[in-house]
Amino acid sequence: MIAAYRPFILPAVFAIAGLALPIWGSNYLLGVGFALFSWIALVQSWTVLSAMTGYVSLGHAVFYGLGAYVVALSWGVVPMAVGLLLAGLVAGVFALVVGMPVLRVRGPYFVILTFGLAELVKYLVIILESELGSFSRLMFGAPDLIWLYAIAFALAAIGTIGAFVIRRSRLGRGLLALRENEEAAETVGVPVNRLKMIAFALSAVIPGIIGGLAAMRTTYFEPMQAFDPTVSFTIVTMAVVGGSDDARGPLLGAAFFTLLSELLWARLPQGYMVVLGALLILFVLFIPRGLAGMFAGRPGRAA
Amino acid sequence: MDVLLSGQLLFAALITGALYALIALGLNLVYGTMRLLNVAHGDLVMIGAYVAFWGLTLFGLSPIAGLVVAAAAGALLGWLTYLGLFRRLLASPQLMRRLEGNSLLLFFGISVILQNLAAMAFTASARGYQFMDQVYRFGDVALTGNRIFVLVTAVTICAAVYLLLRFHVFGLAIKALIERRDAAVIVGVDIDRVQIAAICLGFAIAAIAGVLVSTTEQISPFMGFPFTISAFVVIILGGLGNITAGLIAGLLLGVLEVYGVALTSAAYRSVLIYGVFIGILLIRPQGLLGRGSVVR
Repeated sequence: MIAAYRPFILPAVFAIAGLALPIWGSNYLLGVGFALFSWIALVQSWTVLSAMTGYVSLGHAVFYGLGAYVVALSWGVVPMAVGLLLAGLVAGVFALVVGMPVLRVRGPYFVILTFGLAELVKYLVIILESELGSFSRLMFGAPDLIWLYAIAFALAAIGTIGAFVIRRSRLGRGLLALRENEEAAETVGVPVNRLKMIAFALSAVIPGIIGGLAAMRTTYFEPMQAFDPTVSFTIVTMAVVGGSDDARGPLLGAAFFTLLSELLWARLPQGYMVVLGALLILFVLFIPRGLAGMFAGRPGRAA
Repeated sequence: MDVLLSGQLLFAALITGALYALIALGLNLVYGTMRLLNVAHGDLVMIGAYVAFWGLTLFGLSPIAGLVVAAAAGALLGWLTYLGLFRRLLASPQLMRRLEGNSLLLFFGISVILQNLAAMAFTASARGYQFMDQVYRFGDVALTGNRIFVLVTAVTICAAVYLLLRFHVFGLAIKALIERRDAAVIVGVDIDRVQIAAICLGFAIAAIAGVLVSTTEQISPFMGFPFTISAFVVIILGGLGNITAGLIAGLLLGVLEVYGVALTSAAYRSVLIYGVFIGILLIRPQGLLGRGSVVR
């Protein structure tokens, strides 16, 4: 039964590569690996809400930014590990608080609403920071890159396994049911509102921690950068290009764009963005199931 | 409080509002007829602004003539994207199932490409030029010529498009498509032609608005995004696809923004815009002025 373990080959390759990377130890490679596993963790978290329920979030930067802000505010006040956990907690609680009204809104309205919400929070934080008289916060004594890398790797693993398990769980079945037809799912007894809230909160926690890690990596916090909408857009693009119906998709999407960005960003940042835009168009129109769908073979067969 | 009652502020609000109404009109045409969420709309404004800038600096072309050139450039771009991308999207039942989401992603791709190509071609630095900057006085109101030009042009084009939609057979076909797509097909509206017209008109209007913006503000490759947001706030205020309500909502947002900033400070502009945006989406997603899906 070769088919039985086929879905695990790709994640295993990523896991082995991720564990082996520190052996070579070059700081450059660790930096690339940090970016790669951060993106994997972000995209996997995003799929728990957006791929499984069909509520496409274009505002995941808000969780990332909040996480960064929590770490910046708690810097030197609490131990770093506590700061990171707080970052995830605050992101999750924020999702629960705004989730109630926000998840009532559907379809394209939800997409632009999540985007608007992230921008609103960004500008509120900017105003708050200027009221507090601080324009960018420096963080001294950030941990070594190897530690940040290890945490990002662990979060990517948790995200990937989590997405895989949730998809097959009772929760995941309920989410997929409400994606197809929310009214019908509710009629047959799926508690749609509760499930949507759980998915929203779950998809927020890891991005919060990743945001905190990213702040430690750059050693400073600045709202325009921490809440940059490009983060949200990149997550969606990676999910579309990789494919989001399968836990392998985000691995491929994140790896593809991390490599592309390493190749192009330094030399031609605007060229990288043009390629990103062109690929997004290409995949939406011609390869809607993404790279993972191409690997899975014949279209039309539900995974 | 004197400032709040001054004619100066009222005119500032009218000018901003007319510009918003114009930009949102183009966005609404494209959404109304095809259900496409054009998040690249502000980038078309940027293209129009650069057409005016280069027209003036390279060829000595007055921005008034620039209006025509920019409109043609916008229409051409609309035609190309329709033929290249959206005809395919609208024809595929599989992609139609999530049309709005897919169109949003496609337009986001277009937006990123336009912004970065512009940055590569024109550099990312801001540019500007002088046009009609003599000051005219009307009682206690002082306005520069270029701001009067913006107001007059925006109002004229909004009115012209409104009349076209109300009385001309082609405008009526566009309206028919907005109101009842299935019925429009049955009574013999050539959907493909009307869609091309709508997207060309919508893009041309955005480019024209870009020329207007360039006469009063500095321009840059990344200037478009705030206009995209304002335009979305306006058409959501008015109700998506509701043309007349969109025009009123444009003025309303102009008034809200100018008076809101006058009451607080410029730092609150974005919070105000996004706050209105989220409030409307949460409380009345069909639009403040909308009544369901009926378009008048």
